[in-house]
Amino acid sequence: MNPLIPIMVILPICCALLLNLFHNKDKTVKILAIVVGLVLPIIPLVANYGLHYFGGYSPLIMDPGLASEVPSLITGSALNIFHPAITYTFASAQKIFIFILGIVAFFAIFTSLNEIKKPSGVYAFLMFMGTASISAILLSDDIFNLYVFFEIAALTQVGIILCSGVERNYETALKYMLLGNIAAPLLLLGIAILLGLTGNVNITDIIYSLKNGLVDPQNPSFLLAGGLIIFGWLYGSGLPPFHSIKSAVYSKALPHGAALLQAFSVFTFLALGIIIIRIFSYLPLTQWVIIIFSLMAMILGITMAIMQTDFKRIIGYLAVGELGYIGLGLGMGTAFGVTAGLFQAVNEAIITAFLFIGFGTILYKTGISDTRKLGGLLSDNPWVAGLVLMAGFAMAGIPPLNAFQSKLQLVQASIDAGFPELGIIMVILSIITFMTFVKVFYTIYLRPRPQDLKIINETIPKSTIISLVAFLVICLVLGLFPQLVTDNLSQFAQGLI
Amino acid sequence: MFIDVQLASFFTAGAIIVLGIYAALFLDNIIKKIIGLSFITEGVNLFLVTIGYKPGGVVSIFLPGMSREWFVQNSAYPLPYAMVLTSIVIGASTLAVMLGIVIILYKKHSTLSASKVLRDDEETGDAGE
Repeated sequence: MNPLIPIMVILPICCALLLNLFHNKDKTVKILAIVVGLVLPIIPLVANYGLHYFGGYSPLIMDPGLASEVPSLITGSALNIFHPAITYTFASAQKIFIFILGIVAFFAIFTSLNEIKKPSGVYAFLMFMGTASISAILLSDDIFNLYVFFEIAALTQVGIILCSGVERNYETALKYMLLGNIAAPLLLLGIAILLGLTGNVNITDIIYSLKNGLVDPQNPSFLLAGGLIIFGWLYGSGLPPFHSIKSAVYSKALPHGAALLQAFSVFTFLALGIIIIRIFSYLPLTQWVIIIFSLMAMILGITMAIMQTDFKRIIGYLAVGELGYIGLGLGMGTAFGVTAGLFQAVNEAIITAFLFIGFGTILYKTGISDTRKLGGLLSDNPWVAGLVLMAGFAMAGIPPLNAFQSKLQLVQASIDAGFPELGIIMVILSIITFMTFVKVFYTIYLRPRPQDLKIINETIPKSTIISLVAFLVICLVLGLFPQLVTDNLSQFAQGLI
Repeated sequence: MFIDVQLASFFTAGAIIVLGIYAALFLDNIIKKIIGLSFITEGVNLFLVTIGYKPGGVVSIFLPGMSREWFVQNSAYPLPYAMVLTSIVIGASTLAVMLGIVIILYKKHSTLSASKVLRDDEETGDAGE
């Protein structure tokens, strides 16, 4: 038992509750949020791999004392090895994901505390609560516990939109909730069917039941459960048909909020995607469903980004498109493909946060996100423009930045797996992503400044620039030394396949 | 007869879920949509309760005088009930947030028509802060 494993969830929850309590005490909110934000990425680095059984209830086979008091009817059956309580699993992949989530959360919170004139305890509460929920989703081996945190994460996302003050944010929040309240109960229904068939909500135990013939995997109810869980996965991560609402959600949040929201989507996508692969991988259909929805996300996300005029919406659609790359990696069904997909997820969480906070400087300076009303901003902050340019290059996969490595691995993996067509599509869509970014960059920074454009904030906060530089450093480090994460991810991928 | 009760309960849950999805997707009034969403949640809760149903079983509380073997064989499975309790709390929370948003939107738009309130809004580009 490793006490640091539940701390990854408990600490941000406690911090969130305290921040809510200290609302209006600006200095306390700032200090508490920054200190806890700094600690969040450190915990996964120092924690040992292992399992955590809530309440100390390990499987009976590991607790001979308790097993001796239980009727032989139980100890003589598979129940002897089943997990009686919620179990958290902390392995090599979780270490990387929770570390990256912690980094994005810290810089999003750090930026927000300095960009917003009066730091809000409620806003910081929502950011920490969301981070705790996604950490729990990544750690939990219990699919119902995952559902509970999935719902909490959805509520915090709505809260972050409501706190933004952006025009029509309430309408978008309601639309997101209406769709979510169809998708989430259907996800729960899928979990309920799995419970009905296997008597379990622990994922490892469900897989044990399947592999040892305790359940008929060809049972149509099992397929229905798979379909419902996939539907919940599409909603949680913003894949089609939910791509439009997801990008609207990003555009209605403040840039630092959107930076964190996209990281939530990426890690929800991964967590649920991995569960779908673990439970339903015996069905050939699963691989194709993941590939088809991922392709749709790439094509729809990137082509719709071209048509937008609001840069927040453009990044939102690009973020949805980039999710498709991750899905293709997972869907290839090879250890190399899955490793490349997971690496792409890590990179996307960093790069999209980099882009949101980078372009957020424009919103901070002008209060405008419509590219048609912007222009000539290069001379105001050429260094910041340079950082934003690097973020765009990173997303498009230009060397030596991190996405170059992951996208190259994805193309190689697609050829190895016998899907060279996917590699071609990925390259073409990367070029379109680059073109979209260059168009936006030119419109905002390089073309002549419109006469009626007013600057409302002259100086960009130092915290924002520090965050951008930190993201660039991470992109460069991961681009130059990808093995820092791919070794861990490869271990996990081999175990998964 | 007991199997029939369970089957009937499953069908009722299914019917409530389908009714809820219909209301959420096809009715224009936002409050009616939200009622439909509650139907979906409650249908799933009923489904969960039905899974835990055991014909002739007892509530899964170990009372003095019960033998362990008898209790193991006759108690209903408690996990679905624990899940339903959590689901009810989640449902109530999301319902409260949705209704709160609807109050604000009604004050702003003076209508509860989803086609008017939630019409697809292409960005104005104004951050509106």
